[in-house]
Amino acid sequence: MVGEFEYLILSAAAHLGEDAYGAAMREVIETTGGRTCSLGALYTTLDRLEAKGLVETWMSAPTQQRGGRARRMVRVTGEGARAAREFYQAVVRISRGTVWGESLLSPVRGDAA
Amino acid sequence: MRGPCGISSAGWRCIEAAAGLLAPVEREVVLGDLAETDRGGWRGLGDVLGLASRRQLALWRNWRPWAASFGLALPASLFLMGWSVAASGAVASLLGEPAQASLLWLSLSRLFLVISWAWMSGFVVSAVSRGTLWASVLACCGPCLYCLSEWPGHGLSGLRLLIFVLPGVWGVWRGRRDVRLGPGWAVFLAALAPLAPLMSGKGGWLHCCWLLWPGWYLAATALRNQE
Repeated sequence: MVGEFEYLILSAAAHLGEDAYGAAMREVIETTGGRTCSLGALYTTLDRLEAKGLVETWMSAPTQQRGGRARRMVRVTGEGARAAREFYQAVVRISRGTVWGESLLSPVRGDAA
Repeated sequence: MRGPCGISSAGWRCIEAAAGLLAPVEREVVLGDLAETDRGGWRGLGDVLGLASRRQLALWRNWRPWAASFGLALPASLFLMGWSVAASGAVASLLGEPAQASLLWLSLSRLFLVISWAWMSGFVVSAVSRGTLWASVLACCGPCLYCLSEWPGHGLSGLRLLIFVLPGVWGVWRGRRDVRLGPGWAVFLAALAPLAPLMSGKGGWLHCCWLLWPGWYLAATALRNQE
């Protein structure tokens, strides 16, 4: 099963579709996922996902917007989609019946008492 | 003057310099990503350095950097410094008595062995682990600087100690260019390697025998490439 950050990357790539590449995925992870994402973490995780066959990457043509530099484009493979769905279903299953109420969110148990 | 995405020109130059630590393709991708997002110079620099550190850490999970720096560069520098002193001593004796054929033979053979050993070690260090060459250079320079600082003025001038440096750098340069040695040359160097321990006389045998591996590594990889 994939890890949490791997899942975020798979989801960002799937969300962006044909426009999935490093900077855009980072933007999605940070704005939608609400967590910081360094390029180091992003690209080393992408390499790992690619080695597992969960994503494919390739270089695009250079663009003017990037000062004539190419993008590393990303596409989620069928295997990657299955792994992401497995992770998502596991989270949904394990969360069923759990209510993250105020009592669980208090920093020290028994504070209310 | 401003660089891309609002980063100052000096900041962007720093980022580009730091990106030199990355592989060329990755460098272009990362600089492109930074150029199209507005995250400031410090964060950009942090991104580049963070990625470079992660790449280095990944390299050190393999046996190759350890073998290149601590298994070869470090012991070879000690061995080659000793041989540089021996070779330069033989040459100095020859200059004192130029008519002696045995001294001529001794000087030439020692010089030849130092040069070929240094070239071979540099080549193997570079071929085994190109990405961590900096660590191998440090492992080689450490003992050299120690010896130069510890025994100044004992007849061990830098030139006498460091005869091996130039051929070593040449070997590193050839290894970095992904030059493949022909099996003939590789086997020749592998066969030459044991001559140094044989000529080293008393002591240092274990150390010298340990240093036979680069020769056999060269021969094995050249023969495998031939297949």
